[in-house]
Amino acid sequence: MINTIVEFENVTKQYGDQKAVDDVSFQVKEGRIFGLLGPNGAGKTTSIRMLTHILVPDSGSIRLYGERVGAATQRKIGYLPEERGLYKKMKVGEQLIYLCRLRGLSKEAARKSITYWLDRFEATEWIGKEVDELSKGMQQKVQFIATVAHDPQCLIFDEPFSGLDPINSELLKEVILELRSAGKTIFFATHRMEQVEQLCDDIALFNKGKLVLNGNLSDIRASYGKNSIRLRFSGDNKFLDSLENVRINNRSVHFAEIRLLNGADDQAILREAQKHTRVEGFELIEPGLQEIFIDTISKEKTSDV
Amino acid sequence: MFDKEKLFLIIQREYLVRLRSKMFIVTTILAPVIMILLLVLPTLVMVLSSDHERRYAIYDETDIIARQMTESDSLSYRVSESDPAELREQLQTGQIEGYILIPHEVLDGQGKAAFYHDGSAGMTTTSKIRSDIRQQVRSVRLDRLDTSDEILAVINERVSVDNFTVTKAGEEADTGASAIVGLIMGFIIYGAMFGYGTIILRSVMEEKSTRVVEVIASAVKPFELLMGKVIGVAMLGLTQFLIWAVSGAVLMMAAGPLIAMFAGGGVDTAEAAEAAAITIPTIGPMVWVSFVLFFLLGFLIYSSLYAAVGSAIEQESDSQQLQVPIIMLIVIPIIFVMNVADNPTSTVAVVLSMIPFFSPILMPVRMSVISVPFWQIGGTILLMVLTFIVLIWLSSRIYRTGILMYGKKASFGELWKWMRQT
Repeated sequence: MINTIVEFENVTKQYGDQKAVDDVSFQVKEGRIFGLLGPNGAGKTTSIRMLTHILVPDSGSIRLYGERVGAATQRKIGYLPEERGLYKKMKVGEQLIYLCRLRGLSKEAARKSITYWLDRFEATEWIGKEVDELSKGMQQKVQFIATVAHDPQCLIFDEPFSGLDPINSELLKEVILELRSAGKTIFFATHRMEQVEQLCDDIALFNKGKLVLNGNLSDIRASYGKNSIRLRFSGDNKFLDSLENVRINNRSVHFAEIRLLNGADDQAILREAQKHTRVEGFELIEPGLQEIFIDTISKEKTSDV
Repeated sequence: MFDKEKLFLIIQREYLVRLRSKMFIVTTILAPVIMILLLVLPTLVMVLSSDHERRYAIYDETDIIARQMTESDSLSYRVSESDPAELREQLQTGQIEGYILIPHEVLDGQGKAAFYHDGSAGMTTTSKIRSDIRQQVRSVRLDRLDTSDEILAVINERVSVDNFTVTKAGEEADTGASAIVGLIMGFIIYGAMFGYGTIILRSVMEEKSTRVVEVIASAVKPFELLMGKVIGVAMLGLTQFLIWAVSGAVLMMAAGPLIAMFAGGGVDTAEAAEAAAITIPTIGPMVWVSFVLFFLLGFLIYSSLYAAVGSAIEQESDSQQLQVPIIMLIVIPIIFVMNVADNPTSTVAVVLSMIPFFSPILMPVRMSVISVPFWQIGGTILLMVLTFIVLIWLSSRIYRTGILMYGKKASFGELWKWMRQT
C-alpha cells in the first residue's frame, strides 16, 4: 500500500478580499514527484508556504505524514523557495551548517552531510568562500544543498530550474531523480510544462486559487485521447493559418502541433498540408501538458460566464 | 514557547557574525578615539592658538579703564591711539576686527560703554568684554571711594559650595560632579539606541531583501528569529561597552601625559597636563548597574520598534517615513535632559523619567545627580519590561507578515492591518 505523505483538506487562505487558495483538497503519495502547476498568482506559492508552516491556512487542514503541519513537521521537509536567498556575508560551509542545525542536525552530522553534497556538486572548494563571491549559478547550487543536506523525507522545490544553465539543469534533474529513487517524496511547483512532463508522476493544476485538475499525469493525458497532430513538413507554412477548428501549438518553420477542436477531421488537414507542402511526418498524439493546461483553463473561463 | 536549541543557534549566529564584522571593529576603535579627541581638542586648540587671539582697540575717555584692562589682559586689549572716527574707518576697511568706546560718564555710574565689531565676536567674547569692563569700572570707583582693603577682600571673595546627598539611611555622597557623568551616560545611551536600533533594522531588512528569511522561516518561528536577533545584538552592545569601559579607563589615565607630550616644550607641561586632566568623579556602583540595565531595557524597547520597520521595507531609503516616530521618541528626552539634570526632583522630571520610552536616557541622569526613590526605579523598570512585552508582541505580528511581503512600500495603515491579521 502506498502511503499518503501530504494531505490538503478544504484548505482556504485569504488576503483581504482575495482568495489566494480556495477550498483546495489533494493528496501526495509516497515516493512520487508531484507537480504543482499554474500561472503566476494561481496559489502555488501560498500553498507551499502553508505546507512549510510559514503561513497558516484560514480554514481546512494540512497534514504531513498524518500529522498537522507545525514546528515538528518542519524538520521533515526541505524547502527551496522560488526567491532564492542566503546570507551574503557568511561563508558557504558555516552557512550550510547553520541551516542544517536549525533543522535539528548535530554539528558533526551536518558537517558530514555537507561534505557529501558539496562533493556531489563539485563544489568542495567553495566551502570557505563568502556567498557574495560566488556566481549566481554557484549560489543556486549552495541553496539546493541547503535544502537537501539535512536529509528530509519530503522535498519542496519552487521553480528549482529558474536561472540555471542547461548543464546545471541537467545535473539538478539527475539529482532530483536520484532523490526519488532513494524514496523521497518530491513536491515541485512550476509553470514550465516541459519540466513537468519530464519529471512528474502526478500533477495538480491551479488557477485563480482553485484546484482545477488533479491526478496521474499519464492518466490525464490518456483521457484526452489522441486528439492532436504532430506535423513535420517542408515548404510554405502559411496554409496553417487557413485551417479551421484547430489550435496550433509549438509552431515553427517546419513543425506544428495541431489540436483538433469540435471534431475537426485529421485526414482533411493532412490533405490540405500535402496540397501546399511536402509532408515529412504525420502522427496522431495525446495532447501535451501545455495544451491540457490551456484547455482546462479556457473551460474554467467559459464556465465562469 | 521557544525551541531553546534553535534560539541559541540564532543568538550565536547574530552575535558572532557581527562581532567579526569590520563595522564592529571600526566603531569599537573609532568611538573612544573620537571621544578622547573631543575631550582633548579644546585644550589643544587653546594652548596652540593663544598668540592668534584678537586684540581689540579701546578708545577710553576716562584714561584709566583701558590702561588697567590692557595691563590685566594684554592678549585681548590694547589702548587705541586713534579717535572713534578713525577706528570706525579701520573697522570698515577690515584693518581691525573691533574696538571699544568707554565714555567718562561710566565712572559716575552713568553712560554706557560700546563694543563695535565686524560680526566675528561671539557670545563668549562679548560677555568677557562686558565682565572685564564691569570689573575695572568697579575697582576704579571703589578706589576713588577709599575703600579699605578688607572690604575689597570681602567683595572679591568667592564662596565655594560642596554638594552632598544624604540618603534616608544617613549615608552621604558627594554628588556635585557626577551630573556630568549622568549626562555623558545619557548621551551614550542616546547614541546607542540609534546605533543598535539601526543594526536591527538593517539586519531584518537584509534578511527580507535577500529572501533568506523564507528559508529560515520554514525551520523556525518568526518570533524565535526575531528574539534571537534582538538578544544577539544586545549582547553585542554589552560587549562593545565592556571593551570601551576597559580601554577607556586606560586611555583616560594616559590622556594628561599625552597632552603634555603634544603641547611640547613651549608650554609649561605641568600646566597643560593639569588642564587636560580628566577626573572621573567617584560614583556609586548603583549608577553603573543602572546604566547597563537602562541601556538593555531601552535597547529592547527600541529594537522591537526598529524590527517592525525593518520587516516592512526592502531598502533603507524606504525607511525614512516609518522611522520618524521612533526618532522623535529618542530625541524628546534629549530636549529635556538639561532640565532634568537641573531639577531632578521636580514633578516634570519624575514623570518624564518614568515614561518607558524616555527612561533609558533620563533615569541614569537623575540617578547620577540624586538618589532616586526606590519606588520610582522599580516602577520604571516594571513599566519598561511591560512596554517591551507589549511592543515585541505587536512587532512580531507585523514582522511575520512583513517579511513575506514584497514589491510595495508599506505605509502605517499597512502595518496596522498586518498587526491585526490573525
